[in-house]
Amino acid sequence: MEGYTPDHKMADLIADDYRLIQVMSRFGIRVGFGNMTVREVCDSQNVDCNTFLAVVNFITDDNIAATPATPLSLDSLLGFLKSSHSYFLEYCFPAIRRKLLEGIRIRTSDVSFLILKMYDEYVDEVRTHMEYEDRTVFSYISGRLEGAPADNTVTTYSDHHEQVADKLRELKGIILRYCPEDADVNLLNAALSDIYRTEKELESHCLVEDCLLVPAIRLMEQKKQGEYHHEEE
Amino acid sequence: MRKNDRISIIVAETSPIVAAGLNVCLKRLPGISAIPYEARNYENLTDLIREHHPEIVMVSPSFCGVFDPGKLRGSLPEEEFKLVAIETGSLSSQTRQLYDESVAVVDELNVMAEKLSRLINIRPDDNEEKDSLSQREKEIIILVAKGLTNKEIADKLFLSVHTVITHRRNIARKLEIHSATGLAIYAIVNHLVDLKEIKI
Repeated sequence: MEGYTPDHKMADLIADDYRLIQVMSRFGIRVGFGNMTVREVCDSQNVDCNTFLAVVNFITDDNIAATPATPLSLDSLLGFLKSSHSYFLEYCFPAIRRKLLEGIRIRTSDVSFLILKMYDEYVDEVRTHMEYEDRTVFSYISGRLEGAPADNTVTTYSDHHEQVADKLRELKGIILRYCPEDADVNLLNAALSDIYRTEKELESHCLVEDCLLVPAIRLMEQKKQGEYHHEEE
Repeated sequence: MRKNDRISIIVAETSPIVAAGLNVCLKRLPGISAIPYEARNYENLTDLIREHHPEIVMVSPSFCGVFDPGKLRGSLPEEEFKLVAIETGSLSSQTRQLYDESVAVVDELNVMAEKLSRLINIRPDDNEEKDSLSQREKEIIILVAKGLTNKEIADKLFLSVHTVITHRRNIARKLEIHSATGLAIYAIVNHLVDLKEIKI
């Protein structure tokens, strides 16, 4: 696929694929950009256009990563991933929990409270993972960008993504199979739809980390290595 | 191969109508989860085989002139694929002999699925084995639901921790539930334990 270019109208991107609203907002781009192109919007809101488009094209092209013509801005990518983390942890998961709480009519006389417990355990696991990334991986990269020494922080990165996804699959299965009969159908459906949507978003988020962030880090390390050798000579 | 393992199938067919139709059919085969790839020409076919190591290659006997199965196999000795002829007209028995199987455009989907499954030994779904838990596994689920650790379960049932872990792995495979809370939910709904016995 050709993909979007800096000269596309920003509004057209959103019209083609509404998921890009989330991408925009996590890059800090606000709506209300009139008829401006992607480049104009990015420039006016201090967003690295190249990195923004790499993520946009990655997500709209079924998560196929093209090798970017110009290297991505790790700073921008980290900013994007960090605000994705806050979006999931501070907005998505609490909203789903509220719907579950109302939909399943949680009480201690049946399995409903265990379903909520399972949900909380799942969210805890995602939180631990994301906080680990924020604290360890992302701060390592920020440090490297400012000249801190290299270590092997980023080598075991994507294994954990699988485990988190498995856990969510199990939770969905449990809700579908063992949900108490008197649950509020509409609220429960809303909660389940949110869970499925969030699952897709999380998958895509993890893939951005694996397919765009990890290669960008590798590139940075190679470059730093080159500079280091250059200085030695 | 197990049912629902994803298998790669490469389709080499000159007619775009047949190729597109086959593509759709392969994605709808009952019991087989196939990823079809279309070969544009002979060179592309060999490239695709080297890249994807397909389980099956489906070829029209008139692909790129007269297709020579022996030549293809000879040029890729390290690849282990089954060769299936795509029959749009009638095939001579001599031609058919050169292939492992043949699929006709008039074949129903289940016939096609049967032929391909047989070719790559897909085991039928072991549903019975999948759903039924052994008595020992039920005992373990009950103890997990009550909040015991693997070590405590091992002590209580006079088993090694290693055996308990093996049982738990089998339970997880059968029920698709790994977590203790999930097993507690299963145990209550199926009346293996009483809600009051659950430790939170």
